[in-house]
Amino acid sequence: MSVVKLQEVASRSTPAPVLIEFNAVTARFGALHAMGPTTLQVRRGEFLVIIGPSGCGKSTLLNMVAGTLRPSSGAVTYAGALVGGANRDVGYITQKNHCLPWRTVENNVRLPLEFRKTPRAEMNERVAHSIKQVGLSGFEKAYPRQLSGGMLQRVMIARTLAYAPHTYLMDEPFGSLDAQLKLKMHAEVLRLWEQTGATFIFVTHDLHEAITLADRVVVMSKRPGKPKLIVDIDLPRPRDVVDVQSDPAFGAYFKQLWSALDVH
Amino acid sequence: MSKVLSARPSNLRRFALSGTAATQILLVVVFLVAWEWLSGALHADFWVSKPSQVVSALITWYQSGDLGSDLKITVMEAGIGFVVGSIAGGLVGFVLGWVRKLGDLLEPFVLSLYTLPKIALAPLFVLWFGIGAMNKIMFAAMLVFFMVFFTTYQGTRQVDRDLVENARLLGASRWGIWTKIAVPYSAVWVFTGLRIGLPYALIGAIVGEFVAAESGVGFRIKEATSFFNTAGVFAGLIVLMAISLMLLSGLRLIEKRVLRWQTASGALDVDSGTLNVETEATT
Repeated sequence: MSVVKLQEVASRSTPAPVLIEFNAVTARFGALHAMGPTTLQVRRGEFLVIIGPSGCGKSTLLNMVAGTLRPSSGAVTYAGALVGGANRDVGYITQKNHCLPWRTVENNVRLPLEFRKTPRAEMNERVAHSIKQVGLSGFEKAYPRQLSGGMLQRVMIARTLAYAPHTYLMDEPFGSLDAQLKLKMHAEVLRLWEQTGATFIFVTHDLHEAITLADRVVVMSKRPGKPKLIVDIDLPRPRDVVDVQSDPAFGAYFKQLWSALDVH
Repeated sequence: MSKVLSARPSNLRRFALSGTAATQILLVVVFLVAWEWLSGALHADFWVSKPSQVVSALITWYQSGDLGSDLKITVMEAGIGFVVGSIAGGLVGFVLGWVRKLGDLLEPFVLSLYTLPKIALAPLFVLWFGIGAMNKIMFAAMLVFFMVFFTTYQGTRQVDRDLVENARLLGASRWGIWTKIAVPYSAVWVFTGLRIGLPYALIGAIVGEFVAAESGVGFRIKEATSFFNTAGVFAGLIVLMAISLMLLSGLRLIEKRVLRWQTASGALDVDSGTLNVETEATT
């Protein structure tokens, strides 16, 4: 069976149904009012990027979709159902690598399939396929401690690819990578998004990253954070991560987002 | 799989290692010669014996047929005690480490038992388990238990909760988290506990034999002392050292296999376009 899902690609041109919905959601951690009432809808197959100052609750939004955090008030629904416990339909990739150091690359990628009791033959096929997709062929038997940061990030992506979630949550996944490598990873993420037709919610500090990737950029306000501006990025697709930056509209978006961020 | 760009000069390294080994052997020889000579020159062989006498005591011990049976008994007591103590310590440590509330509740009790000088329990163990092998096995197991318990407990408490949270998203059940995350995560610590605990297994068996026994290496040492047979005592000590080293290197071997990922070396990087592979095993 194929890992790649293409069913959503065709429907990109027409507005897709809402997959994730935040309804007047707030988050408090003790006395800290982290996130103000946030209402936001994410469409199926959309590439949504969230930017905002540190501590404005960007990661909190992702955690709520993943089900690792419950809103203090309001509701988060995923595919029409209230998010209760851990949401197994999402892949969560953060800056921190969650590789198990005692497992080889191959066995790290295999982990979610073992948890999901995927039949062995299909498991092998999926593992090989997703390792190939992130360009790690030849490194199947390597241990995480032998790999660089960029490669570990690829292992994380391959591991997520392997179980083909419908939604990818990415929390500054490339924050620690150098500029060149970042561009390379952007190209790969765009390719991944196009191939899988999955929904992406991507949190970043990096405006270039945001504009390059997004269908829509949500700018969060300072704490307690809530969406203060939502910008549709109408740059043509498929995008080339280098060429897109010389598009005159790119500069305009950059200015608009920068002033909305209100950094002093 | 990959081309080797920078291989370590392993020949050089091996040479350096053999140099160290040669020096170590030399040190042992110097020590033995000095022992032999000084103990004769100072007429101290009543107190410290001398290597030649120790060797002949070993030969006598062997020829009487007692060495084999003593070894068998002591190794059996220490071995079973080690296994029983490790399993119990590992299980209890894991459960108390994983179930935080239970750990917090019971920690002070285990700690106060731990601070007890456990040698003081030896006579009690005679009362409970008699003077046979059972007494030594249980005593050794008790000593090992605490060592393995504490390291496992610590290790399990340190399991990265982030990793566990992530595993849930990947679809892990409670059982999956236990077997695929928590247990392997604490394995490093368990092995530390096993390594520390192993000599204690031997201590347990020997102390047990000192207190009450009819055979075993410990019994032989005590017997030799009561006959002022210093060479016999040293012969016993050397046998103990040999057992201990043998068991420890066996454990190391297992550890190296299980924790292979720790010794995997060499940096592999596809992003920077370089491949630095170190193929030699780290020792």
